[in-house]
Amino acid sequence: MSSIIEVKNLSFAYNQDTILSNLSFDVTAGEFLTIAGPNGAGKTTLLNLICGLLKPAGGSIKIDGRDVKSYSIKKLAQKAAVVRQEFVPVFDFTVEETVMMARTPYLGTFGFESKADKEIVDIALEMTETNRFALRPLTNLSGGERQRVFIARALAQNTPILLLDEPTSFLDMKHQVGIYDLLKKLQLEKGKTIVAVTHDINLAAQYCDQVLLLGADNYYIGKPKDVFTTNQLEKTFGVRVFAVNFGGEKFFIPSGRFAKQSGPNHTTSFFPKS
Amino acid sequence: MSNVLTKQKLTKRVVICLAILAAVMCLCCLIGTQKISLEKVFAGPGKTAGENVDYEILVSVRLPRVVLAALVGAALACSGVVLQAILRNPLADPYILGISSGAGLGVIIAIISGVSWTFWGGSPIAIAAFAGAIITVWLVWYIGHLTGKSQVTNLLLAGVVVNAFFAAVIMFLTSIAKSEQVYSTIFWLMGNITEKNPPVLWVSAICILAGIISLFSVCYRLNALSFGEQEAQGLGIDINKTKILAFGWAAFITAVAVSLSGLIGFVGLIIPHAVRLVLGPDHRQLLPVSAIFGSIFLVAADTLARIIVSPAQLPVGIITAIAGGPFFLVLLAGYSRKVSWLR
Repeated sequence: MSSIIEVKNLSFAYNQDTILSNLSFDVTAGEFLTIAGPNGAGKTTLLNLICGLLKPAGGSIKIDGRDVKSYSIKKLAQKAAVVRQEFVPVFDFTVEETVMMARTPYLGTFGFESKADKEIVDIALEMTETNRFALRPLTNLSGGERQRVFIARALAQNTPILLLDEPTSFLDMKHQVGIYDLLKKLQLEKGKTIVAVTHDINLAAQYCDQVLLLGADNYYIGKPKDVFTTNQLEKTFGVRVFAVNFGGEKFFIPSGRFAKQSGPNHTTSFFPKS
Repeated sequence: MSNVLTKQKLTKRVVICLAILAAVMCLCCLIGTQKISLEKVFAGPGKTAGENVDYEILVSVRLPRVVLAALVGAALACSGVVLQAILRNPLADPYILGISSGAGLGVIIAIISGVSWTFWGGSPIAIAAFAGAIITVWLVWYIGHLTGKSQVTNLLLAGVVVNAFFAAVIMFLTSIAKSEQVYSTIFWLMGNITEKNPPVLWVSAICILAGIISLFSVCYRLNALSFGEQEAQGLGIDINKTKILAFGWAAFITAVAVSLSGLIGFVGLIIPHAVRLVLGPDHRQLLPVSAIFGSIFLVAADTLARIIVSPAQLPVGIITAIAGGPFFLVLLAGYSRKVSWLR
């Protein structure tokens, strides 16, 4: 397996504020990488650097062995599709029209989709189970449905890489799991390389192959069980964290000063020891 | 089951709309204070000038005016579509970036200083309006970009402030001008379509049509841009290039329209919204259909302006505002986009 994304000594700063410094990691093709870390650590910035929206201050990012800087905007959009946290649809586009826009990087001068484009879109709608409401305007959907539509669009963009910025942040439990199941399915069935920023480390750990834990001035990269440890989480997030063993997996619960279960003695008694 | 636009669908709809436009233009040519008979018109111009009065009225008075109204209507509606998309603001209209006040300032300066030179048959007022409009758009664009690279809000703010400032200057100049100068300025500010000679019509037709075709080629990018700039770039669109292209052409055709007819309000705001309500937001369809309905609307409005208080004439801007406002409100209240007969 070869590396599809190579990040080497990457650094970035907004004006004088250093956000990322000397960050290096590789993503293997077909892998599911989760990026976790406190707010402001630069997770979204990192995604924006990978998709070419921002330019690195130092170091390099390579996709398929070529520096991101050397891609045209159009070619890069054929490599990586992005699903963003926030979006503002000003006009009432339908689900189908929205997903169809994924074909934009492949269109000619006046921008009309072909039959083949239409088929790709239909498959994407089907895989994400958004075909049920394909004709509804985007504004009439729930948050979970809308998120699936944007994943459908990323899928129809036909890129080897999917970048997602907190795809589950406004969703209930059922829809969170639904989105992760969908992403896993895309990874396994379509061979997509998935890079997802998330705050839900317990959920992410159940699905991803590799984790990048990004702190303000340190980072950890590796398998979920090596990266998500009480010690490293506490150091990165600056909050007390309890680990709970359940079914051979570790889960982490943060605890504040005034939380009900704020002593180490309480925690384990509430959960089965393994 | 699909509502996605195809080339075939679009062609069909555009042809239908063009047929409606042609019918409206013919009809409006025949309506007027002076009754003319079709029979006489078809008899041809006759051997000496002035022999066939009906033909003369139709060909040299009404037809150029109807064509001019169609051109201006198309330009304003297209410009409205594009600016609403790029600024992601449904309240945007062709004048939002200062074109109106810039052109107005140019005109009032020209009128007060009494310049009388002409250029390619264009009146000094038209030239001053065009120059004022283009300079102001450039100014607004420049200020907007000084404040931040990709902030459309700054651009909007710059436009609004420049508009307000120039409006104040216009007021100042009006208050110190002589009364007959004030009269012609106000007539111009209200928007007025008058007969123009053929070369002026030809040049403006070429400019406006070239603009519309160029804008049509950015339409699919405008679709993606409606989702925001980051999203659009993620879909492989060069944001800056698209914005400059779209703004440039929209400003240019608006300036041409303004220099021909003064400030005709409402067309650029309500036509795109009306078409969007009925046919949906896909810009590849919105732009051409809005252009055609902008033409239809303005041709009809100008015909009304010609006959409603005949033999005097109203400025067409008054008609567009009085007729357009309520019409749009009815459409807004009564329509959703679930109109199935065209989809």
